[in-house]
Amino acid sequence: MTGMRLAAVGFAALGLAGADRVVVVTAGGADYVLAAGGTLAEMAGRGAEIHVLRLTNDEKDSWRLTPEETAARARREAEAAGALLGVKSVTSLGYRAWELGAVSFTELRDRIMLFIRHHKPRTLFIPNPHTHYDRVLDRYYAGRAAEDAWRSAGVEGVQPVQAEAGLQPHITHDVYYYAPPVDPERRTPEASATFVPQPKVVEIGAGLAKKIAVAQVYVTANESLARRLEERLRTSGRRLPVLDEITPAAIRRLVEENVRGLAKLAAAGTGYAAAEEFHYAGIEFRIPASYR
Amino acid sequence: MTLAMRLLSMAALALSALPQKLPLGEVPRGKVVLILQPHHDDHTTDYGMGGLIARMVDEGYEAYYVRASNDEKDGAHGYARNDIVNLRESVEGTRILGIRKVISLNWRNDYMNPIPLNELREQLIVLIRKYKPDVVLGHNPWEHYQKNPDHRQVARAMAEAWWMAGFANVHPEHAALGLQPHSAHYLYGKARLDWGLGHRPNVAIELNESQVRKKQKAYVAHLNVYANPATARAYRVALARENLAVPEWESLTDAEAAVLMEEWHMQWISRRRGAEAGVPYAEDYYVLGEFDHLPGLKEYLSKNVVAR
Repeated sequence: MTGMRLAAVGFAALGLAGADRVVVVTAGGADYVLAAGGTLAEMAGRGAEIHVLRLTNDEKDSWRLTPEETAARARREAEAAGALLGVKSVTSLGYRAWELGAVSFTELRDRIMLFIRHHKPRTLFIPNPHTHYDRVLDRYYAGRAAEDAWRSAGVEGVQPVQAEAGLQPHITHDVYYYAPPVDPERRTPEASATFVPQPKVVEIGAGLAKKIAVAQVYVTANESLARRLEERLRTSGRRLPVLDEITPAAIRRLVEENVRGLAKLAAAGTGYAAAEEFHYAGIEFRIPASYR
Repeated sequence: MTLAMRLLSMAALALSALPQKLPLGEVPRGKVVLILQPHHDDHTTDYGMGGLIARMVDEGYEAYYVRASNDEKDGAHGYARNDIVNLRESVEGTRILGIRKVISLNWRNDYMNPIPLNELREQLIVLIRKYKPDVVLGHNPWEHYQKNPDHRQVARAMAEAWWMAGFANVHPEHAALGLQPHSAHYLYGKARLDWGLGHRPNVAIELNESQVRKKQKAYVAHLNVYANPATARAYRVALARENLAVPEWESLTDAEAAVLMEEWHMQWISRRRGAEAGVPYAEDYYVLGEFDHLPGLKEYLSKNVVAR
């Protein structure tokens, strides 16, 4: 990769104080856990108060369950996963999964903005709407709305009725954009550090075991993944020995391999053993170094 | 900055923009390719998919073409007539490539931006469940600077339909029609390389002479919109002013010369893409493969998947 410049930053540089608040916006499923679970586990361990806003109901990702049953299980699993991760609250908005494209952008933005104004986070984690080749477009719609919610939450004139409910404008200092690592250009630095988030890699060695355990809580979607993978391999004359018998233990093993694989990909070129990668908008994003 | 410096920096920019040699991709083993496009002529737009379609048919694929719009704006005959002529030429052009059928969805041409995307996506899901493609082919949904709203919308609907069709809880009502869940496993995205950084192909597909020839012929089947005799006439006049002529055109009418010029264009772009990949002819694509949505598992699968 030509011109690659990684900002490999450990937790010493995160500047987290014990009482910091964090808001995570997720389209659904285990998205935020797979992309940022290690970082969030570390933050929770340091005393951060983390609130997750889950936009959709995950009703479609299961194996031979109705949408209603899938949604009910997915919600229970999302809440259990959050609790294990050390998250203080998981709030579900209940939009139908994989149909966010039909939801008004402004409606979605304003609901995320309300959440931000209510919790007043120092740090936001949002899906990266600028990533390429992520085939789940709910993440794009969620990220686009969340990005504007971050901006608009600090603007008094946007949804002034929220002030009537006691919500004041709020500016979030740090934003971590997360995405599955499917974009080959994801580590190419953007044009300028000012007003454009930059690639950032966070070491997660200490949080990797917790991240694996949390990802394994999403039993319904994980079984769907395992069975679809086994079906694809079987119908094309192949097999993955660990899935010869699809047991809960085999599925957990698959999830562990997935999380370890993601951590290895993110750590590539950094010297870390396990990491997560983001686009990060911190102080450089707002104030050029020459003015500080 | 002096002119010389400006020229030098422009040359450096041009050199840095030269694409790196692309790896040659193989056509995946499969039986059916579904081409999902908005318009009658998008099977062979100027940067081409026609060569790959012809190659897949040569290798045993059944090919089906979805034309999402009614093409009423394309041509000079008025909306209704354009629709009829463009459909007829689409059937002819796709026949040359070996495509079995054209399926028209008839959304209003150039007015697809405000259509309900989930409705279009469902139409594509129905077709994927019916025809059970191994490969889906269309415009790259992530390309930059795509100005045509129909291209954007169909590509975006395709970006989800190709895999979502495999989930039973996506439109479960289709089961009553006998349509079972089915995912395509490969998406081939095509875009113009000169439209920004959004499309950086990851494979080149080698073509042979016959496949390029079919691509050329399929392209000029669209006489309602391509191969305008006035263009050839204007070139002849401009060249004659400088005492120049195209020898190959001497015995041809303007209409015939215009067709030949379009065929050259198809051959030129196929040759150029081929040269970039080190083969005589090629087309380039961004291919999403069967496990690209599982980046964390790709290495594990490559080491542990075995034949049955």
